[in-house]
Amino acid sequence: MTLAKAVEVLKAQAVVPAADQGVPLGGCFAADLMSDVLAFGREGSLLLTGLATDQAIRTAAIKHLVAVVVIEGKRVDSDVVEVAREEGIPVYQTPLSKYEACGLLMSAGLRPYRKGT
Amino acid sequence: MDTRRLAHHEFPILGRAYFLGGRASTSVKHVLREAGVEEAVVRRVSVACYEAEMNVVLHARSGYLSLDIYADRVVVGVIDKGPGIEDIELAMTPGWSSASDEARALGFGAGMGLPNIRDQADEMQIESAKGEGVRLILTLYREGEHDG
Repeated sequence: MTLAKAVEVLKAQAVVPAADQGVPLGGCFAADLMSDVLAFGREGSLLLTGLATDQAIRTAAIKHLVAVVVIEGKRVDSDVVEVAREEGIPVYQTPLSKYEACGLLMSAGLRPYRKGT
Repeated sequence: MDTRRLAHHEFPILGRAYFLGGRASTSVKHVLREAGVEEAVVRRVSVACYEAEMNVVLHARSGYLSLDIYADRVVVGVIDKGPGIEDIELAMTPGWSSASDEARALGFGAGMGLPNIRDQADEMQIESAKGEGVRLILTLYREGEHDG
């Protein structure tokens, strides 16, 4: 699945648009706990999170994630947008809950990855 | 084997400056890339630094991160002035945390910091005593397989 397809499935709006929405997603990681993303997230994934802070963006940059999607229509402050631009991390906002967003992405064919695979 | 030191950098870390948390680690990542350090090593160092930096931001008054790039390894020091860790073994237990609600609101403080750092690093030394801050030294080798 491409980022463009995920954005469509999630009815997401671009806050910081991707330069190339055609980039393929290797998977998705849904978490509010950045320590978990740092420990278990995989490069090339999409991050679904309720955390609309600098730390979510920096975590995505350090783990080479494709983009951050903020759930529940949460506002992304301008200083967070600035960090995202500096770090080259696209940011989107979806009105959906994390549960629904995960469910829709999986139904649309974005498969989960498992430990050891 | 070539073990020369190629570069030394230091980055200050301010305690309780939540909005700056992660900035030193982001700088570390850029410096390592510019120095031509292998991408896999850059990633492991960045993740370990980010967790260690957040520990300083969340628990200490101030601190700094030192980065030494050698031909064969990267050595990171994260040294703070803060309350210190009373029981290091306990702090290394996944899930154990003394973090505040503010820490949790930033997506940290779930008790995975030190275990995550240990997993990324090849060698980890931690020294602390109550009231005396924490001195964390990490070594990550640039060649060979990482077994974490």
